[in-house]
Amino acid sequence: MKVRIAQHIGFVLMTMMLAACSKTAPIITSAKDAETSRIGVMTGSTSEAIAAKRFPLADVKHFDDVVDAIGALKAGQLDAVLTGYPAALQSTKRNHDLALVQEDLSNEDTSIGIKKGNTKLLSQVDGIISKLKADGTLADMSRRWFKKDLSPYEEIDITLPTKGAPLKVGVSATREPFNFVDAEGRITGHDGELSRRIAQGLDRPVEFENMRFASLIPALQAGKIDIIITGMSATPERAKKIDFTQRYYELHQVLLVRSALAINPNGPSFWDRTVESFDSNIIKEKRYLLLLEGLKTTVLISILSAALGTLLGALVCYMRMSGSSYLNMPARVFIDILRGTPVLVLLMLIFYVVFASLNVSPVMVSVVAFGLNFGAYSAEIFRTGIEGVDRGQTEAGVSMGFTRAQTFFNIVLPQMIQRVLPIYKGEFISLVKMTSVVGYIAVHDLTKASDIIRSRTFDAFFPLVMVAVLYFFVSWIFIRLLGLIERKTDPRRRRHLEAKS
Amino acid sequence: MITIENLNKRFGDLHVLKNVSAEIQKGDVVSIIGPSGCGKSTFLRCLNLLETPDSGRILIDGDDVMAANANVAAVRQKMNMVFQSFNLFSHLTVLENLTVGPIKLKGIAPASAKEKAADLLRLVGLAEKGNHFPDELSGGQKQRVAIARCLAMDPEVILFDEPTSALDPTMVREVLSVIRKLAKDGMTMLIVTHEMDFARDVSNRVFYMDSGGIHEEGTPEQIFQNPQRQKTRAFINRTRGLSFAIRSEDFDFYGMNAEIESFCEKQILSKRHRQNLLLLVEELLQVYRAFLGHGVMTIGIEYSERSGRLDVICEQEGPDRNPLQGDHLPDEIGLMIIRSLVDELQYSYSEGFSQLSMTVRAVAPVSV
Repeated sequence: MKVRIAQHIGFVLMTMMLAACSKTAPIITSAKDAETSRIGVMTGSTSEAIAAKRFPLADVKHFDDVVDAIGALKAGQLDAVLTGYPAALQSTKRNHDLALVQEDLSNEDTSIGIKKGNTKLLSQVDGIISKLKADGTLADMSRRWFKKDLSPYEEIDITLPTKGAPLKVGVSATREPFNFVDAEGRITGHDGELSRRIAQGLDRPVEFENMRFASLIPALQAGKIDIIITGMSATPERAKKIDFTQRYYELHQVLLVRSALAINPNGPSFWDRTVESFDSNIIKEKRYLLLLEGLKTTVLISILSAALGTLLGALVCYMRMSGSSYLNMPARVFIDILRGTPVLVLLMLIFYVVFASLNVSPVMVSVVAFGLNFGAYSAEIFRTGIEGVDRGQTEAGVSMGFTRAQTFFNIVLPQMIQRVLPIYKGEFISLVKMTSVVGYIAVHDLTKASDIIRSRTFDAFFPLVMVAVLYFFVSWIFIRLLGLIERKTDPRRRRHLEAKS
Repeated sequence: MITIENLNKRFGDLHVLKNVSAEIQKGDVVSIIGPSGCGKSTFLRCLNLLETPDSGRILIDGDDVMAANANVAAVRQKMNMVFQSFNLFSHLTVLENLTVGPIKLKGIAPASAKEKAADLLRLVGLAEKGNHFPDELSGGQKQRVAIARCLAMDPEVILFDEPTSALDPTMVREVLSVIRKLAKDGMTMLIVTHEMDFARDVSNRVFYMDSGGIHEEGTPEQIFQNPQRQKTRAFINRTRGLSFAIRSEDFDFYGMNAEIESFCEKQILSKRHRQNLLLLVEELLQVYRAFLGHGVMTIGIEYSERSGRLDVICEQEGPDRNPLQGDHLPDEIGLMIIRSLVDELQYSYSEGFSQLSMTVRAVAPVSV
C-alpha cells in the first residue's frame, strides 16, 4: 500500500520536474515578440477574440480557465498568456517568475450581465452603478482591490437583508481580484463586494453560484442565476445573448510572460520552493479545509448516486428481463442512450435543460445525473449476473414450491451478488472518479477545491497532487469496504466460519 | 390420484402434446419411454406446471390444478421434481440444499429440518457430504443429493426427468439403485428415462410416447416383450432406418449407394451384410425399372440393433402387381440374384400400395 502511494507521488514529481526542465523558450518582452509564439487564452473570453485578431500567426491554445493557462505558462508549455490586467497583475504578485508586458492590447467595458428582457432589473442595477460612481465608491473599491502588492485586502462589511428572494449572482471565482474564494470559503474580491452592494441597493439577500466562466451565460439564459458579476467584458457577441449594464471597470488585455527570473540559476532551491509551495497551497488560509469540504461533497455525491443508480439499475434490469415488450423496450432504450452519452453532457443537459426552471441544488442534479448513468451500467451488470445463474436452479426452486419471487430472493439473488460484486466494485470506483466533472455546474467537489486553490496561488503541483492522493484514498477505502461485503457473502467463507465455531 | 385429461401443449407451431390423457394411481411407478423430442419431458413438466398446458385438465386428488384459484405452489410441494441437470443450489451446502425448502416453505424448525436432512443424506449414502458444496461432488452424488432434496419436502409424487442422462455410465447405477429403493418403499413416481432395463425392472406401468401422445401403454412385460404397435416395436427393438424416394430412372444411384454405405458403417454391419444389401438394392432397381415414372417408389432400409435383422421394403403406389412376377423382366437372372440374397420375401398389397419386403442375408448368398 505505502509502496503504491510512494510510486504515485514519485511519478507526479518526475513529471513536474521534467516540465520544469523544459523552459528553454526565449523570453518575451514586447507584443511583437509574441507574434509567432505560443499564446494561451481562456475559452469564451475576449482574450480569445483578441488573440485571433492581433496574433494571427501565433499558436493559440485554449484553456477552460486562466489558472490552467498560467500553469501551462509556468511549466513552459506556453510562451505567453493573454488575459485581463487585474488577473495578470495578481499572478505576478504570487509568482516571481512571471512578468507583464507593459502594452495595452485593447480596452473593454467590464459590465454586469442580465437576462434579456429583464429590463426592470437592468435599469435598477444601472441606477445603482451610477450612484456608486457618483459617490466615489467604485474608485475606492478599485484602490482597495486592484493592488500592486500582496498586502491584505481591506474589506468593508455590507449589511444585507436576510429575508426576501435572494439575488442569485453567477460568478467564476477563479478570477482574483475580481472574484475569489477567501479563507472562510466566502466569495469575495472586487466583484464580490460589488455584488453585495448591488444586492443592498435592491434590498435583497445575495446568493453566489460559483461556476465555470463558459457556463455563466447559459446559466443566466436558463434562469439558474439572476445576474453575472464576475469581471465579464461586454463584447458584441455576448450582447447578442444577454443584456449588459453600463461599464463599472475598464479592462485592459495584457500579455503575461515568464520573466528573466524563471531561468535564473541562483533562485531558491527546489526543496525551498517545494516547502513554500506546500505552505501557500495547503496551509495558508486553512486551504486544507477547502479540500476537506470538497472531499465531503465528492463522497456524498458518489454514495448517493451509487445508491440511486443501484435501485434504478435493479428496476431497469427487471424491466429489461421482462417478457413484455412494453417494459422491455423502454429499458433497452434507456440503457442504450445512457451508455452512449458522455456523463458530462448528461449532467449539463439535466442542469441547464431538464431542471432549468426548477430550483434544485446542483449537488442533487449531480446525484441524478450520475445515478442515471450508474443505473444504466448496473442494470446490465445485474442482468449478466442473473443470467449467469443457470435457469435450472430457478426451476428446481419453483418445482419445490417456492413462488417465482421467493426463488429469486432465496436462490438467484445470493448467487448474483457474488457474481456481480467484482465488476460492480470497479464500476463504483470509476463513478467516484467520474464525479470530478461536477465543477461544471458549480458544485464544490474535490476537483473544484483544487481549482479554487490554484486560482489563488497559480501553482499546479500541490493542489493537484493533494487531490490525486485524496481520490486515491477514497477509492481505496471503498474498494476495501466492498471487498469486505464480497467476503462476507462468500458461501465458502461462511462454511469456514461455521466449521470454526 | 392424478388424472390427466386431453392435455395439449404447443411451442409456437410445434404441437408437442396432443390430447394426452392418463390416470396415475397411488404407488404407481410409471416409466415414460420414447424417442427424443416426443414430448416426454414436456409431459412431465406440464404435470407440475413448469410449463403451462394450452388446454386440458390435470386433477390431483380430484382438485383441478389449472383452475384460476388453485394454489400452484402447494401442488408443487406435493409433486417434487428431479432434473436431468441436478439443479442443486450452488451457493448452499448439501445440507442447506435439503433444509432450505422445509424451513422456508413448511416452517419447520431449523434443528429438526437439519436432523431430517441428515437422515435423508444417510438414506442416499451421502451422510459425510453434508458440509460440502455441490460443485465438490461427482455427478452421481449430485443427483442423489437432488433426490434427497426432493424427499425432504415429503412429496406424494416424484417426477424424474431423465435422471441419469447427464451421468457417466459408472455413475448411473448409484442413482438408479436409490430410485429402486424408493420404488420398493412404495413412493409414487413418474420416470422419464432411456434406461430400458431399469424401466422394465422398476416400474409397474410403462408409457411409450411418440409424436405427442401416449402411443402405447401397458405393463413392462407387454411393452418390452410383446409390443402391439409398429412404432413401439421399432423403438423397443432399437430399429434404425433409411429411406429413399425414387421418382424416375434418372435417380442419383451413386449418391444413394454412398448413403447406404455410411449407414452400414454407422450400424457396424458386417462386410458381407453390406455387400448383400448393396447388391440387392441394385437388382431391385433393375426389376422396378419398368415401373419407374408411374408413381413414386420408396425403398426403406431398417436395421434392428437388438436382433441384427436388416429389412428392405419397397413400396409403390399404383395397381396390385408383384414386380417379381410377370413378363416385363428381360430374363430370370435378376430374380435369381434377389432370391439368393434374402432370407424372407413377401409381397402384399393394401390401400393402393404394393409392398415388397425382404430380409437381407447376413451370410454368403445361396444359389437357388
